[in-house]
Amino acid sequence: MDYKRDIPLVITFIVGVIAVMDYYTTFSAVKETFTIIKNWGVVLQAFALGLGAANLFRVHGKRISDRKTSEWYFSAWLLFMLIVFVVVGLGTGQFEASSQYKWIYNAIFLPLGATMYSSLAFYMAIGAYKILRARNIDSFLLFATAILVILGNTPIFPATFPAFFYTREWIFTAIVGGAYRGIRIGIGIGAVVIGIKTLIGMETGYLGRR
Amino acid sequence: MSAWEKLAALPRELVLTLVLIAMIIPTLHPLGLPIMTGQMAQDWYDTVDALPEGSVILFDIGYGSGGYPSLGPANIAVFHQFFEKDLKVVIMATALEGSMMYPLVMEGVKPESNYGAVYGEDYVFLGYIAGEQTAMAGVLGDLPALVSTDYTGIPIAQISILQDVAGADDFDIVAYLTTAGGTSEGWVYQAYSAYDKDVLGGFLSMMTTSMKPYYDTGQLLGLIDGVKGAADMEFLTRHPGDAIQSSDVLSFTQTLVIILILIGNISYFGAKASRKEET
Amino acid sequence: MVSSDPAIWIAAFFTIAATSYAFRDNIVFKFAENTFIGIAAGHAIVMGVKNIRDYGWAHIMNGEMIYAVVFVLGIMLYFRFSREYYWVYRYPIAFLVGNGVGISIRAGIHSDFIKNIAATASPIIAATPLDTVNNILIFVGCVTALSHFIFTYEGIHKGTIGWIPKVGRWMMLLSFGASFGNTVMTRFGMYQGRVLFLLRDWLGVV
Repeated sequence: MDYKRDIPLVITFIVGVIAVMDYYTTFSAVKETFTIIKNWGVVLQAFALGLGAANLFRVHGKRISDRKTSEWYFSAWLLFMLIVFVVVGLGTGQFEASSQYKWIYNAIFLPLGATMYSSLAFYMAIGAYKILRARNIDSFLLFATAILVILGNTPIFPATFPAFFYTREWIFTAIVGGAYRGIRIGIGIGAVVIGIKTLIGMETGYLGRR
Repeated sequence: MSAWEKLAALPRELVLTLVLIAMIIPTLHPLGLPIMTGQMAQDWYDTVDALPEGSVILFDIGYGSGGYPSLGPANIAVFHQFFEKDLKVVIMATALEGSMMYPLVMEGVKPESNYGAVYGEDYVFLGYIAGEQTAMAGVLGDLPALVSTDYTGIPIAQISILQDVAGADDFDIVAYLTTAGGTSEGWVYQAYSAYDKDVLGGFLSMMTTSMKPYYDTGQLLGLIDGVKGAADMEFLTRHPGDAIQSSDVLSFTQTLVIILILIGNISYFGAKASRKEET
Repeated sequence: MVSSDPAIWIAAFFTIAATSYAFRDNIVFKFAENTFIGIAAGHAIVMGVKNIRDYGWAHIMNGEMIYAVVFVLGIMLYFRFSREYYWVYRYPIAFLVGNGVGISIRAGIHSDFIKNIAATASPIIAATPLDTVNNILIFVGCVTALSHFIFTYEGIHKGTIGWIPKVGRWMMLLSFGASFGNTVMTRFGMYQGRVLFLLRDWLGVV
């Protein structure tokens, strides 16, 4: 047995099977074991939260030490802000509940997070103008429901003609309800197949190539 | 360049500036347009309304700063309904930023001053729990085996609301608001399928289409459809806020989008027709 | 009245800085972007440490020494960055994958598969003619959309029954149009929150 590859596959199989058995059986030993597995899973995911930061230190640390690009000082700033936030969070002993932490979060992280994601609104406008064109039957269908749903979503139109609102509701009930149900069933089959292949060791991508 | 081609090539900066103007004008001068509530939000409201006083809700804050403009107002509105009906709320966060959203939401609800609710007796916040579906399964499976304190470090033995809560059987309903696809499906999987609980879900509007089958098949009893659902909830709970104000802005911005789509198409077909005439 | 709170001013600066990218890439945006990534990673560490303390260390303090194993597994995760000992990282990731897959597929079969098929197989005739029409459309949409994903039998996409997946594609395109419409609303609804912040909380004109 190759301890570098086979033992991890066995771990995946055993843990996965216990999770599935917890659902289909009522054995108390399985329930108790799975409770510990779940709790370990939470802690392990918490450990994994630091992986991103560790990678940032590797990548940006190298950029700072090389100083090959003119933007190395941005890397220094990034790591500085990372350290500041960690020091404030851990130093107070109250983590995210401390007032200092909340202050930095609300002044810097919240506006940046909210704006970064929402700025896509501008790209939606450009995309709608440049791309959404009824060139053929396929794009016409997409175009038609897009327009009808936007009209139904825009309060001024239903306020003037309630039919826009009911059309939008009908599209969601009859059209979206049917097609997405088919897609859901397809996703469900795919996910279960991939899941079973992973548990029995036929899908090993997560182990990496090295 | 023909007139049609010019129409199809409006400067990017002009389009973006028009979008900004379309957002600023209605914010300064709200129209106060009426709200037509959708059935999905109405079902959420009715489901909560039918719960008897003292029912225990497990609520997940599954969004962060990116989702706050859409889901924050919805969260405030649904909490108003929870506290008005004297429900007990066990709050957790599956989003990394969820525990930073909690104080913002509570600032909007003010359960102590508005409803006489007491922290620890009527509601509790467990904080962020890593692991998404693992966290959900952990809380529903055996809460005391996973959680030992609330988010400020108070042991659960000292929190009266948690004395009778050991897991899924002790929750009357599970509700969540999230921006994450994995979380929105995860609660259906874990709460509905694994533990047979009633579930209410809210997410960004762009996720509604893919989550709709769960609502259609009764796995979600009610659904909050992003900022539209948030406005519906504010209207239904009679606590108007940022979402209803956003509705006015949507009237302007989305009308602009429709105009842009039409300009794009008119210029496309115009240019195509003029090319045909030339040949 | 314009806010005098420095936190509001900083937030306004970062809101404008992050928006500026939509117009053109610039140095102020780069500054905002790097600040965001740094703080996001810092927040992840803080929340991670808190979770390790609350859900791992707390158990050890209660005498449940079996939880020491997960600390070893957690440290093993960081061998991901070692060329020589990369394999050590596979042990904890195998645990996480096994747990994640097991937890999701056990219920996914019921939620995605059984419930949706059962709902599609329910009676089509409803109380009102409109509901009956809707049920027919839902049935047709579901079956034809599903047929579009059959790749193991090529014949379904050709010949006399080739229209079935074609109708499925049309139904899906109609649905994707609805998705696009809702995505427009999502993004504008989100940015409106920032406009409201700038005009109300910062400039005080609302």
